[in-house]
Amino acid sequence: MERTLGMHWGGANRQDLRRFLKISAAFHALGLLLLIFMPTLPKLAPPGVIMVDLVASSSLVAVRPGPSAPKPKPPKQAPKILPAEPSTPEPSAQPKPTPPEEEEPADYSDILAELRSELGEPDVVPENEPVQTASLGAGFGPGRPVSPVVAAWMKAARIHIRRFWVVPPGFRNQSLETVIEVELDSGGDVRGEPEIVRRSGNPWYDDGVVRSIRKASPLPAPPEAGRWTFVLISDEI
Amino acid sequence: MLKRRRSVQFMAVSGLVLGTFAVGPVGEALAQQRPAVVVTPGRARTYRAAVQIFADRSEIPEPNRAPLFHANLQSALEFSGVFALVSHKAFLGPVTSASLDHGPPIVCSDWSQIGADAFVEGELIIGRELSIEFRVWDTARCVRLARKRYKQPLTADKGFLARRVADDIVASFIGMRGVASTEISYVSTRDGNTEIYVMAADGSRQRRATNNGSINNFPDWAPNGEGILYTSYRQQNRPFLFLSSRGRNRPGRLLKRLGGKRAEYRGVFSPSGNRIALVMSELGQGPEIYTVRPDGRSLKRLTRSRAIEIAPAWSPDEKRIAFVSDRSGSPQVYVMDVDGSNQKRLTFQGSYNTHPAWSPDGHWIAYESRIGGQFDIWLIDPESGVSFPLITHRRSDESPAWSPDGQVNFPLIDHPRSDESPTWAPNSRKLAFSSGRRGRADIYVVDVNGENVRRLTRGSGENTSPSWGPFPR
Repeated sequence: MERTLGMHWGGANRQDLRRFLKISAAFHALGLLLLIFMPTLPKLAPPGVIMVDLVASSSLVAVRPGPSAPKPKPPKQAPKILPAEPSTPEPSAQPKPTPPEEEEPADYSDILAELRSELGEPDVVPENEPVQTASLGAGFGPGRPVSPVVAAWMKAARIHIRRFWVVPPGFRNQSLETVIEVELDSGGDVRGEPEIVRRSGNPWYDDGVVRSIRKASPLPAPPEAGRWTFVLISDEI
Repeated sequence: MLKRRRSVQFMAVSGLVLGTFAVGPVGEALAQQRPAVVVTPGRARTYRAAVQIFADRSEIPEPNRAPLFHANLQSALEFSGVFALVSHKAFLGPVTSASLDHGPPIVCSDWSQIGADAFVEGELIIGRELSIEFRVWDTARCVRLARKRYKQPLTADKGFLARRVADDIVASFIGMRGVASTEISYVSTRDGNTEIYVMAADGSRQRRATNNGSINNFPDWAPNGEGILYTSYRQQNRPFLFLSSRGRNRPGRLLKRLGGKRAEYRGVFSPSGNRIALVMSELGQGPEIYTVRPDGRSLKRLTRSRAIEIAPAWSPDEKRIAFVSDRSGSPQVYVMDVDGSNQKRLTFQGSYNTHPAWSPDGHWIAYESRIGGQFDIWLIDPESGVSFPLITHRRSDESPAWSPDGQVNFPLIDHPRSDESPTWAPNSRKLAFSSGRRGRADIYVVDVNGENVRRLTRGSGENTSPSWGPFPR
């Protein structure tokens, strides 16, 4: 194909090439002009990682066994002496990575405030709580950038599911973790059966996870319809 | 040829356009694999249950029978701490169950819409015996979690079946049986003498188990639930172990074989029931810890110090025994192997720690600790250096204490009066204890996270020394 193209471009019709180059130059110029004269454009694309929670991400990566490896028994953890209010985590208590570059973190307060007012309830999560990300796929490790739109939806979805997820005291802080894939339509409705892709080892906990997703439908409308992954951890981080 | 050229041009141009405009943050993230949403628990801890009044399908129905059963069932479900109940006023569906086999299929949305996680329907039939059948539904997934039938003689306690059903409903949701149908024995002076009593774990059906006018103390359930071991001064005015039995074992004094020239202060059955850990002293000597078979054979002495050694508590695997010794100068909790070897001090904080109780799941030892003149119940992880996370909702700002070997322990609950004598429910999710917080000693239960405190005994007299019995068979 390449050779054919080369022959073609170098061959009879040089006018075509010129015409194409002109169009191309025009578009480049247009792009440049847009970049220069639209001051809001750079704000649409904030650079780099927004927020990273090394603890959550690394633990997710660490406990993810290979396809044949047995699930390691969740280790007994040192007791977490939690603040009086269990649902308000204290990010400063967790080791946080230093950002690789000196960058201004993006400000989502507007989006989140909007979401919160949409949800019609005060946010139980502190504003500076890191957006926890995790991915099952290779190549999506800690520190991978998440767009503000996706990050805001993830946070809204998390708050939403929390409201429907009953976690009896006996399950809390038992290091149980269920990974579930959910087919969402563009409105946030759960389509079909949520699929547990990794079990916690406690079937009643897993049942509770499916129950919570069912009860939470419709979720906040996702950035894109399709399969989304949720990790429900029993520990009150 | 021309067509292909044009398409190539189009591709190149559109590529440029896309490159300039479309590769914004959203496109980039979505093009990649989607990140997973991590969710941690919120505040919701209790499931909501919509429980119908069971259909009375007896040949001669009685208007009060089903509602009475329903009241017992509701009370037992609330006792579990796992369920809160949806009011009948909120029901979209019928309040009373239809026939289980011939009724219409259930409409899950009727129940999920009113916020019920669980829907319970059932029927009771009184013929030659009482028969109960019930079903538990998970409304969100629209799945039937349990269907069971129980029968019992008409003369038996009907509340027991209601508590039994409640415990099964709990098990169907959390995989761990509730303990409403278990029993607690305790000591009470309510009739003037110090006698052993028994009640249901939710405080109902309180009744006397001994009636000898002497001093009776330290009840301990036989693991099969068929008897209670206790200490009584009814013979020679000296303490000996007795068995109160409702099973095959003969009631009466237990270790006659050991002779009468000793004082048997306290006995505790091992989890299998094959041995008893015994606090006993030869005349003129301090109490030491022994193990012995229930028939009095195979006596083994485990402790040999000049100190006072009391309060043995078996580990669930029967390999170790926690006990209390004042060999360091103050009473502290120790752990030893079942042959008496490997004795190791466990508690270091506080000048008075006693009454250890090993949880049936092995994770914790509950004990009472005196700080500032009052006793509180504390939990400690018996394994060195490893602790199991537990949340406490304490009213004071007292911080947890670290013992020198790195173990953490913290009070279960705080209050102005002493809590004493902890004993574990067989599912390790609740404890009972005696407390003088009302001015006189009463028996209380509490969830292992320090929530859901509930007083079981009322009225006059001191109620002390609870022992939580096993699951009913």
